[in-house]
Amino acid sequence: MGHSATSVATPRQTIDVDFALIGHQESWRAAADVIAVLRGPERTPLPDDEIKDILPWIPPRAVCHVDVGSITGAKARGLYIDSFIPPDRLEAAYVHENIARVRSAAACAIKAGARIVSLGGFSSILIEGNFDLLPERHDTVFTTGNTLTVAFIVQGIKKMCALEGRDLSKSTLLIVGATGDVGSGCARCLAPLVRRVLLSARNVERLRRLAAELEADGVEAEIATDLQRFSAHADVVVCAASLASPSLFLGRIAPDAIVCDAGYPKNLSPSADMPNAKVFLGGLGQITTGMKFTPDFHGVLNRHPFPDVVHGCLLEGMALALEHRFEPFSQGRGFITPHRVEEMETIAACHGIYLAPLYNADGPLEHAVHSPEGMLWSMSDSAALLPG
Amino acid sequence: MQPLTGLSSSSPMECSSLSATAPIWQDILAQAMTGELLAAMNYASLSEICDDPAEVADALEHAQGERGHAAAFAAEGRKIGVDVTNNVDAKHWKRLREAFLRCIAERDFIACLIVQEIMLESFAVASYSRVGKVAPGSLGETFARIAAEEEDHVDHAMSILRAERARDAQRFDDKVYRLHLDVMTTLAQMLAKECKDGHCEVCHHTCVKPSLFEVSLSAAELRGASLQQYLKTLDMLGIPGEVTLAWVTQLPV
Repeated sequence: MGHSATSVATPRQTIDVDFALIGHQESWRAAADVIAVLRGPERTPLPDDEIKDILPWIPPRAVCHVDVGSITGAKARGLYIDSFIPPDRLEAAYVHENIARVRSAAACAIKAGARIVSLGGFSSILIEGNFDLLPERHDTVFTTGNTLTVAFIVQGIKKMCALEGRDLSKSTLLIVGATGDVGSGCARCLAPLVRRVLLSARNVERLRRLAAELEADGVEAEIATDLQRFSAHADVVVCAASLASPSLFLGRIAPDAIVCDAGYPKNLSPSADMPNAKVFLGGLGQITTGMKFTPDFHGVLNRHPFPDVVHGCLLEGMALALEHRFEPFSQGRGFITPHRVEEMETIAACHGIYLAPLYNADGPLEHAVHSPEGMLWSMSDSAALLPG
Repeated sequence: MQPLTGLSSSSPMECSSLSATAPIWQDILAQAMTGELLAAMNYASLSEICDDPAEVADALEHAQGERGHAAAFAAEGRKIGVDVTNNVDAKHWKRLREAFLRCIAERDFIACLIVQEIMLESFAVASYSRVGKVAPGSLGETFARIAAEEEDHVDHAMSILRAERARDAQRFDDKVYRLHLDVMTTLAQMLAKECKDGHCEVCHHTCVKPSLFEVSLSAAELRGASLQQYLKTLDMLGIPGEVTLAWVTQLPV
């Protein structure tokens, strides 16, 4: 191995942490990059076939420490724990194995003394209706983080409409995966703001219940399990389905439709043919005081074209830790309301956590500039969103 | 040192339906038997540096147990009509023995336990368990039984090692890492999907690894299970998971 063992064995002992983030990699490329960082620059990266052979055997465990600060001066220390769910094993066939992985990751967080744990990506999908499956928790609370994800999706839709000169109130909104926790939260927040609401999901009973709930609040919603029935009518689409891979085809879609892909893994198939659609990746926020990863996983665990961009679900745990509100803010499925979203937005904004600049697979959708502190800011961010 | 001959001597063969895959089982048994004999030698060496008579007795009892395991593997070979040979001087096994003897030379009882119980036994427990699941009849039962027995004495060592780590975690972790670089690098080379540096000197003909699929095994699976068991054992010792993850991902493939 070619280097001394002296004092490199345990560079840093695990100590009690404020928060933990449980996640997994959404692609083999991302997983390979994580392994490459762990191997260090002096070793050749492992070939793809070795990564695919080794990763499924890695038990869930902490990968790095994460230190964050607030614009108030508050600081919080956390851990990123990877469940090491293989990117090609997110399907239902692996649900029991994956729940066991999330449980084991949760046990790592509890053992590390984390006071609040955010469940990222499929971790929250696996657990959101089954919090009793988590290990005994002592002083650790869990949040799916979905409330802040919904907040950033809604903010993103509003911002994209503003950028494109669209009037949201005249739009037809389609939510794909509408009965999930994120999808239903988006429905409650966005439905009152649009002209027409279309809800699509696989479970018709859940769709009916959601539509009835919205109708009780004075919003009429149409439902369909067949996505293609709706896609041609919508000009604003939120994709929030729990898909194991980017496999969603919206079919015929209104010209110039605004499409928010809020899935993790992404919902939209890379080969989806949507000429003229304005696609952006939703549910992402940016922590303006930055993050410090130890070891340095910048750009590896957060693979975005802007710095310090993180999924809302993970940022929720950080925001609550900075706020010293160690409570299970988002739990269960179907409890995300506009009021709760607003409350979470306020907490996040107090600590300098805002909607990330919009981008898609082709790159940024906004111009960005360097702030005096070295942060990248999008030109289109309103002054009200900037700290100070 | 324990005599190594005589364990694989022929006795009347039991007919078996495993004839098609017998050469594969022969090599698997040869690796397992070599590992057990090496473990027996290690425990015998360990008994020579123990001060406490109870520890001496324990080490000798373990040595005897490992020899019993080697004999059991030889017997399983006879049942399927193959002669199970062993070679503790084969290149990888020899390096593992030499690493252990360095700990003996330093009279470092804790280092000996780390090498034998944490590193070599993780490999044995995990790989025997996998083999036990797919091997038919008494062959599978023997692998599964021996995996369970190996796991039992890992538990005994764990309590000693945890107490040692509680005294000085940093020193203990540094020691584990130093031994990891030595021993686990060799084990990782043994466990690689292909033997890139030539014949292992245990398989009786060509390398068995490409044929393992014929008995529902694979080199990748045996490596994965072994490294997983190793990580879990290090977790039980209390070494931070992010640290051991880096150690394992840095091993050669």
